[in-house]
Amino acid sequence: MAINEKTSADPVRQSAPACPAQPASADPSQAVLKTTRRDFLKAGGMLSMSSLMGTAALMAQSDDAHAAIEWAEHFQKNYRLMTAEEKAEAKARLERRYSGEYGKEVTVDTTEAQPGVLMGYALNIRKCIGCRRCVHACVAENNQSRGKDRPGEKIEWIQVLRMERGKFEQEKMNHGYPEGLGIQVGGNAYTPAGQVLEGQYHYNPEKVPEEDATYMPIACMQCEKPPCVKVCPVRTTYREPDGVVVIDYNWCIGCRMCMGACPYWARRLNVTNPVLPKEEMNPVTHYLGNRPRMRGVVEKCHWCLQRSRHGRYPACVEVCPVGARKFGNLLDPESEVSKILARKNVFRLKAELNTFPKFFYFYD
Amino acid sequence: MKKIATFATVLAICGGGLYTVIAAENAAEQPATAAAPAEPLVCFESRKGASEVTQRDLKPGWPNVKCSPTTGAALWYGDPFDGTVPMGKMPGLENLPEGHALVKPRSEKLALMPLCGTSCHNGVGPQFTPPTLPKDKKPTPIPTMAGMVPDLANFQHGRDRIWCLDCHHATKRNMLVDNFGDPVSFDQPQLLCGKCHGDKLRDWRDGIHGKRIGEFASDGKKRWFTCTECHNPHNVQDGLRNKGFIQLQPEPSPQLPKGMADASHEKLHPIPQH
Ligand code: HEC
Ligand code: HEC
Ligand code: HEC
Repeated sequence: MAINEKTSADPVRQSAPACPAQPASADPSQAVLKTTRRDFLKAGGMLSMSSLMGTAALMAQSDDAHAAIEWAEHFQKNYRLMTAEEKAEAKARLERRYSGEYGKEVTVDTTEAQPGVLMGYALNIRKCIGCRRCVHACVAENNQSRGKDRPGEKIEWIQVLRMERGKFEQEKMNHGYPEGLGIQVGGNAYTPAGQVLEGQYHYNPEKVPEEDATYMPIACMQCEKPPCVKVCPVRTTYREPDGVVVIDYNWCIGCRMCMGACPYWARRLNVTNPVLPKEEMNPVTHYLGNRPRMRGVVEKCHWCLQRSRHGRYPACVEVCPVGARKFGNLLDPESEVSKILARKNVFRLKAELNTFPKFFYFYD
Repeated sequence: MKKIATFATVLAICGGGLYTVIAAENAAEQPATAAAPAEPLVCFESRKGASEVTQRDLKPGWPNVKCSPTTGAALWYGDPFDGTVPMGKMPGLENLPEGHALVKPRSEKLALMPLCGTSCHNGVGPQFTPPTLPKDKKPTPIPTMAGMVPDLANFQHGRDRIWCLDCHHATKRNMLVDNFGDPVSFDQPQLLCGKCHGDKLRDWRDGIHGKRIGEFASDGKKRWFTCTECHNPHNVQDGLRNKGFIQLQPEPSPQLPKGMADASHEKLHPIPQH
């Protein structure tokens, strides 16, 4: 079996081998296997033929444009395998559908990763006051479901974890284990010092920051070696060349493998039909970013691709009242993130897992 | 001491006239927070009371800003450059393309500022040198000023090491003073603050301290938030809390997991407390 060097334009079609070889790359457009979904359907014999005919019969009953769009959507390729024309087609189709659904002109951007850009994020963990403005800015920008009634209808990508801050206390200097040794090792057994990792997400005081609390916002870390990508059985989630891990929502089967694999609790499943009021819907969308999702697909932070691919800061960066959130191009030594990496004390969450996040925490 | 006393008397005389200005200003601020439906929606940015944006539609369905219904804070920027002007001279940013470094002017927020240099202070500074601290090197409260700007009553910034004229220009009271004793505009507080907080100024310039919004590329067009949009220069410690940022009301917490009536489980302490 020859390795297909051509990545997109017109993939050479071959019939499926009797025993499919394991693809060598995680990128389906690079894969050794060249069976496309369409070929599979063509060659699939009676079973798929009959199911196709079934769908066709269903469609014939309604000449609704909506059904035609659904039909086209149902049989569209994985985004990474689409040719430029197919992408343009999908974009036009989605724009038409969303504009109708939300009663305003909706754009679906398909801008690719820009050359020379590797996005990076840094968060000043000392400054964060836990006000959750980032959480809600993200919802305003990214068209998450925002229902109130049923569980799972309200989706937020950023979680802010409140952690209690312990203290070193003079009078407890001799307490701890072993008793009487006069050392507080990471606090003592009775009063924690430093951070206590059990935290609160639902804290709701009158004012933040509270005394003796530290706040830690967590969202997708845009790993360089993302465990979620490794486990996705349909390879609909993948890492883009500018560093962002994205999802082609159309190919997501909602199996939740990625949610289990993610060590940062970053992924959310639309368990219900997303609740997105027309007037609140953000009409500027990206295909791999904030376009409206459907029930049964997984979503997560993508650093506001619809903005960042056009040079704009993500929404959360812009609303943080204390300026704890920083974003920039890691390949540009003059960018704020590069300067933070050079100047400040930086750590990555769960670095020991070798996921190599592009999201850094820092403090002055 | 005597000089300070006469100084204070002069201030006291013109103080009365200013009270009315303050009262009017406070009254004008009230309805903004109440947000009646007919009123334009105004949301505050970083520090409450320091800077605001008024919501308007840039095009149908695309506002310049979205405000939080819970707290009244700015939650989303449709136009990050709303109400900005060029930053002016800033050492280290000379290489940026023209008009790419922007700030929101402070002076329009300062009700007293237009009067400072004209009505009361008439260009005569204190007669001692350096003009910053009174002769006995102890800051002496100025009741007149504290009456107009309540934060001045318990002035903690610098913990008794700095005083009014370290920041305000001795003879031009409608200006601040930079590292070289030259007057600088209230719109450029960074040139003032930077003379004592050089490390913060460098980080601020590079986008590490404070905040910038707009285009993230290092030569992109950005709005810098000025020091005083986040810090109250007369109360940097937030009273007794001893922190550089004043407390805020948080936005609502996430939805509770299925079947849970409250989040008390989160409060269970993993380690028994003694
Ligand atoms: C750390 C520097 C600093 C010190 C010290 C300082 N100020 Fe100020 N002051 C400022 C800045 C900066 C502003 C502008 C605030 C803004 O932009 O919100 C200001 C504003 C003012 C205003 C105008 C307020 C208004 O609302 O129009 C007055 C009056 C004033 N200061 C008086 C004083 C007096 C009196 C003292 C001494 C007790 C003093 N300041 C000490 C930095 C300082
Ligand atoms: C004349 C010198 C001077 C100027 C000008 C000055 N500061 Fe300060 N500032 C100090 C000193 C001194 C301290 C106290 C440091 C300490 O006690 O550790 C301080 C402390 C602070 C703190 C930390 C709070 C604390 O006390 O721990 C903040 C925030 C701050 N300044 C902000 C500003 C801002 C904003 C400006 C400009 C409006 C400014 N400063 C201008 C001298 C100055
Ligand atoms: C976007 C808001 C923002 C802006 C703009 C900003 N700061 Fe700050 N600054 C903060 C916050 C938040 C802290 C941390 C306060 C704390 O520790 O609780 C801080 C802390 C400080 C401190 C105390 C640092 C320490 O280590 O204790 C100084 C001094 C300071 N800022 C000076 C400045 C100066 C000077 C400028 C302008 C050049 C400036 N800041 C602009 C938000 C801001």
